[in-house]
Amino acid sequence: MKKITATIIKEWILLRRDVAGFMLLFLMPAILIVVMAMVQDAPFKDYQEIKFDLLLADNDHGKLSEQIISGLRQSKNFRIIDSIDGKPVNDSTLKHLLQKGTYKVGIVIPKGATAEVVNAANTVSNKISEKLGLGKLPAREIRTNTYVRMYFDPVSKPTFRMSISFALDKYVTASCSNLLVARMQKLGAANVDSTIEEQSTDDFKKVFSGIGIKEEPLNDKAQTIATINSVQHNVPAWAIFGMFLIVIPIAGNMIREREEGSALRIELIPGTHNFVALGKIFFYTIICTIQFVLMCCIGFWMLPMMGLPSLSLGAHPAALIPVIICIALTATSFGYFTGSIFKTANQALPFGAISVVVLSALGGIWIPADLLPETIQHLALISPLRWGLDGVNQIILRNGDISQIMMHVVVMLGFSFLLWLISTYVNRGRNFSVQ
Amino acid sequence: MAIVIQNLRKTYKAAFSPALDGLSLQVRKGQIMGLLGPNGAGKSTTINIVCGLVAPDEGTVKVMGKDSVKDGQAIRGMIGVVPQQIALFSNLTAWENFRYAGRLYGIAEKDITHRAGELLERLGLDKHADKRVGRYSGGMKRRANIIASLMHHPELIILDEPTAGVDVQSRAMILDFLKEYNKQGKTIVYTSHLMEEAEKLCDEVVIIDEGKFVVSGAPQTLINNTTDCKRLEDVFLHYTGHSVRD
Repeated sequence: MKKITATIIKEWILLRRDVAGFMLLFLMPAILIVVMAMVQDAPFKDYQEIKFDLLLADNDHGKLSEQIISGLRQSKNFRIIDSIDGKPVNDSTLKHLLQKGTYKVGIVIPKGATAEVVNAANTVSNKISEKLGLGKLPAREIRTNTYVRMYFDPVSKPTFRMSISFALDKYVTASCSNLLVARMQKLGAANVDSTIEEQSTDDFKKVFSGIGIKEEPLNDKAQTIATINSVQHNVPAWAIFGMFLIVIPIAGNMIREREEGSALRIELIPGTHNFVALGKIFFYTIICTIQFVLMCCIGFWMLPMMGLPSLSLGAHPAALIPVIICIALTATSFGYFTGSIFKTANQALPFGAISVVVLSALGGIWIPADLLPETIQHLALISPLRWGLDGVNQIILRNGDISQIMMHVVVMLGFSFLLWLISTYVNRGRNFSVQ
Repeated sequence: MAIVIQNLRKTYKAAFSPALDGLSLQVRKGQIMGLLGPNGAGKSTTINIVCGLVAPDEGTVKVMGKDSVKDGQAIRGMIGVVPQQIALFSNLTAWENFRYAGRLYGIAEKDITHRAGELLERLGLDKHADKRVGRYSGGMKRRANIIASLMHHPELIILDEPTAGVDVQSRAMILDFLKEYNKQGKTIVYTSHLMEEAEKLCDEVVIIDEGKFVVSGAPQTLINNTTDCKRLEDVFLHYTGHSVRD
């Protein structure tokens, strides 16, 4: 124990002396978390939460366009731009501005759209009234070439187009439905008084809007479940990424110690090698754990000051302790492994940095793992970062307790043990020389 | 005997010739023995095997009666090795280095302080003990390197070119210290390319070449017994030749 403690003290002195390195260990992940949480805030929000500028060229000026515009104005998603510099937006201006990328989305309501919808509604109403023995509204043959046209900035992503398309479709359908309701009412208006007419309008509206979709929480502790957002994903994800970057100082120090000869001193002292290695691993495991705690503090206090949501640790935050320690141990063991298998810093440092980036990409740090292709999701099982992040998510997103992270803990301990075994094997075969 | 080496053979992987080719030699307790040889003669391999850092292909090494292969750990506890490299943490002060080494040897804190203080003073580093080793001059680093190897009071000290690259004053201090240490009954094995230094310091020198024993004896005896030799360097060249080694 004395040898382990001595090594922990020695590592602490060395780290403290390297002020820049020490600061970077904490500062870089902090910057990473703040920047990534802010950058990814918008993509993480549902499109319903974001307000878009929507260019509108209204060539109809009828009831339909009135209802569509009114629906869009009432929604939280769209800010209608129907005139530029006091001039109404027309088709060519709309296309030009979208092509330039000034706006992301635009719609054109064609001339005669209301007439076409009214005609369609009349046709439908007539068919119904025919069976009920009511009157008849004027109708002609339905034209099939009238569309409310949507245009997008060419660089818009398919998911964005789909979301906007669904939202607009909802308003157009609602407007058409309202017109149909109005036509149906017109047919029977002569026979009813105004109170009944009002009631019937409400009933019709209920029919068209009553079968909605409402999200319900999975369990009774709903109030404590955090939904996935930029902070809930980015804080633990990039904190874990930052913890794994410990690979670089550990491997760098080990190689420097071998090159400058201080590792030889340790080899020459009997029965020391494994204790020194353990001391090093303990020390950096503590550093990584502190790193994670500090990153969580940023998520709690700093990010909300920047207009982002606060980090939530779920209903069983104490269950995070074993997960974090295991992540820290795995990260440190990976650093020890890298420092053991490579002979020079030129080999170890690029390997350390790139492998952490690759493992983080596999592990769902950059993009949530659920969005990764199936093959990558299987491949991700070899990434300790995946197990770490999933373990944290079990607790902070799924409200899991200790029983739900046992598998993660065991797998990460397994990774650490394996890395330790390989490192020990490599170090045992390494030739130290007094010269 | 402090060290008994018998028929030692070692060939490194991918090497054209053996590093040691049946080397045998003995070091008496309390002796200062100079292990001399040109580059590639096998000096460092011999030391590495004695310390247990490298396993021999054949032959035996006994250090204080213990086998270097079977009892490597015990042997390392009895010997102090001063490697050619400065085997210290350059970002730690001398004190921190010695304290760490002492703790790894399992020495009590009080004894570490006493021992390090004594050696720092003797080797003229007491005023610089709180300076980082990386900021030391070459001579200071060499002296600090010796102190770290002596923290555990070893019975046998092995030094691999301890005065390489140091100024005259530091060299004189190191050599005086080694003589003084030897007077306490400690055995010293020393390698160097500086024949004049070996001539002054050693009770006995062993010259090895191409992994084999060449000759041994007290420096003056070797000088007297070798034709046309006035200095140990002449003896060395007489036995090892003038051809440059790689």
